[in-house]
Amino acid sequence: MSHTVLICDDAIFMRTMVGDILTQAGFEIVGEAETGLQAVEKYQQLKPDLVTMDIVMPDMGGIDAVREICKQDPQAKILMCSAMGQQALVVEAIQAGAKDFVVKPFQPSRVLEAVQRVLG
Amino acid sequence: MDNAQYAELFLTESREHIAGVNKALLELERDATGPGASAAVASIFRGVHTIKGMGATMGYAIVAELAHELETVLDRIRHGDLAINVAIMDVLFRATDVLEKAVEAAVAGRDGEVVATDLVATLHSFGATAPRRSSGGWTIPAPAGAGMLVRIRLAPDTPLRGVRAFIIIKALGALGEVTNTEPPIEQIQSDGFDTDFAVRLVSASPAAEVEDAIRKAGDVVFVRVSEPQAAPRRSAPVTIETATAPTSAPAVDTRSVVGQARHVRIDVRRLDTLMNLIGELLIARGRLTQLAGELGDLTLEETVTQSSRLIGELRDEITASRMVPVSHVFDRFPRVVRDAARAVGKQIDFVVDGKGIELDRSMLDEIGDSIVHLLRNAVDHGIETPEARTAAGKLPTGRLVLSAARDRSAVVIKVSDDGKGIDRERVLARAKRDGLVDASRNDLTEDELLRLLARPGFSTAEKVTDLSGRGVGVDAVYTRVRALGGAMDIRSVPGQGTTMILRLPLTLAIVRALLVRVADEVYAIPLAHVSETIELESEILRTVKGREVLLARDEVLPLMRLRNLVGLPAYQPPSEIALEHVVVIDLGDRRAGLVIDELTGQEEIVVKQYDAVREGLPFFGGATLLSDGSPSLIVDVSSLL
Repeated sequence: MSHTVLICDDAIFMRTMVGDILTQAGFEIVGEAETGLQAVEKYQQLKPDLVTMDIVMPDMGGIDAVREICKQDPQAKILMCSAMGQQALVVEAIQAGAKDFVVKPFQPSRVLEAVQRVLG
Repeated sequence: MDNAQYAELFLTESREHIAGVNKALLELERDATGPGASAAVASIFRGVHTIKGMGATMGYAIVAELAHELETVLDRIRHGDLAINVAIMDVLFRATDVLEKAVEAAVAGRDGEVVATDLVATLHSFGATAPRRSSGGWTIPAPAGAGMLVRIRLAPDTPLRGVRAFIIIKALGALGEVTNTEPPIEQIQSDGFDTDFAVRLVSASPAAEVEDAIRKAGDVVFVRVSEPQAAPRRSAPVTIETATAPTSAPAVDTRSVVGQARHVRIDVRRLDTLMNLIGELLIARGRLTQLAGELGDLTLEETVTQSSRLIGELRDEITASRMVPVSHVFDRFPRVVRDAARAVGKQIDFVVDGKGIELDRSMLDEIGDSIVHLLRNAVDHGIETPEARTAAGKLPTGRLVLSAARDRSAVVIKVSDDGKGIDRERVLARAKRDGLVDASRNDLTEDELLRLLARPGFSTAEKVTDLSGRGVGVDAVYTRVRALGGAMDIRSVPGQGTTMILRLPLTLAIVRALLVRVADEVYAIPLAHVSETIELESEILRTVKGREVLLARDEVLPLMRLRNLVGLPAYQPPSEIALEHVVVIDLGDRRAGLVIDELTGQEEIVVKQYDAVREGLPFFGGATLLSDGSPSLIVDVSSLL
């Protein structure tokens, strides 16, 4: 059975790209969120196996969304999507409960490796 | 935890390792490309590596850093990245010396005193250009702190490696408690490291599980988990900038301390105390035996006899436990000779013989410096320069032999060179000038030669060198050897070489002695130097050139009277038939008769250190307490012969 994924990013480009990478690898994209708030709502609703989370989003940033999701589900598996130069924020996200990260620009292999690690 | 209790162990082991490193360095220098070279490098590497690990554990920053840099260079040599040449050998030797100093300083609580910045920079220049290899050294020192040491190397292309490291540390946090990191966690998080970092983890998880967790965290190319060690003290701030030099993990090898089972390390002072106690016990035994004899109680005598035997065995065991092979001290001499030879531009083949011969530990420690004196003398004054040797029809490379051999209850140490020999003419001239010998003399006997050379400040060296020739050589050795109850001899043949012979008792403390009486005093003569005793009948007494001599077994021996020596009037026999006795004393192949009033017995005596009175009688080498509690002086045979 393929794993279900919720993709959270305010840019359609990024959502599409991550979605393509994961779909090609056999994952099932069950939902997308454009804001942190949406991410929290959709997580509760969809209970996906995996969440990819952008850091900078309107209406609650990615880090707060991670904190919120993990408060409700400590087992949540969240992969942070970050740009170079955001290490402090990524560290914060990890502290908040995210399991791993990938750095833009995305390389499919790296994304898949990270996903594998998160799903353990 | 207080590390002080480990300091001595650290010091002892480090010294051993440094001795081993020096030995291997010499082997390497002798044959840098031969079959033994890689074994020598490996051996040096192990020694340095162990010192580094121990030093880091103890929190000795300078030791750890220096060893670390040295190790880096050795690693390059080991992998064939760096070829051995004179420059590298010199740096390695120098670094080993400084490392030794740093070890001593650190243990003495002066870790910061040895300044090695230049040397570290030099080492660094040899080591730093090493291409990073997948299995190569680690770039950062081990963090202080409790728990297992976890070393991690990330892939060079790891994105946001600070974050990756953080994830790894977090994963480790799930297995236990991370007590420290290197670099500090803040620096790690902000990418303030290259590819390597290290963590101290207190965890009940097995190493394999820890490693697994780290690998799962991603981007990890190497992990090494070392089992925890005794909690190290927080290390002093590292004062030498070495953060980018590759090195290996300072895994502390404690096996040599506890693993190889059948040995226990004992502070030598404890053995000294035991030796003193057994000495007192021997005195008490003698007293007890005497009293039991007087009482005539058979049961008591039997018990005393049995106790006596047990005490004797105890003495033998304790004496044996203090014996160590001379190699303990001899092993550092090749290095000494090499350095000395280089300093004066001589070629010397140094041979050590009889390394397995055992000697009392204290004796060995005491005599080490004296042997160094003799070796340096041989290098400096004995063996000629290659040109001079060639001109004299000898091989350009001189030969220096240090040997140890057992001779009855003594150990004979010889330092023998094939150099030009002692210049008797010059010694004679100097002695005449100083009025030490009669101006009409035109030759010196070996004994006179020794006596002259052994005079404080007597030197014929043309110039003072670093090595010797300050006139403190032979006399210092002579004094020391005598203080140890030993004797010294010189054999020197012009053009063929010089041999210095040191004869040392096996142990400092206890000797069997013949007790002799002169007037009301009892003196002790070590039995090791007694070959026989004879009654002084008038037939065996002769006078040659106004001196008394003794005819014993077709041999003519010089005769001395102890009464004369101590300034007593001549013996008045109590009756016609009462004869004086002669003790024939010997030392090597020199013999003489010593006339005494009466033989009173034999006893095991405990030699007490004796501060000879200046200008006092020179032929007493110590004092002892006899079994009846009375004090007795010990005759120093070597000064009589």
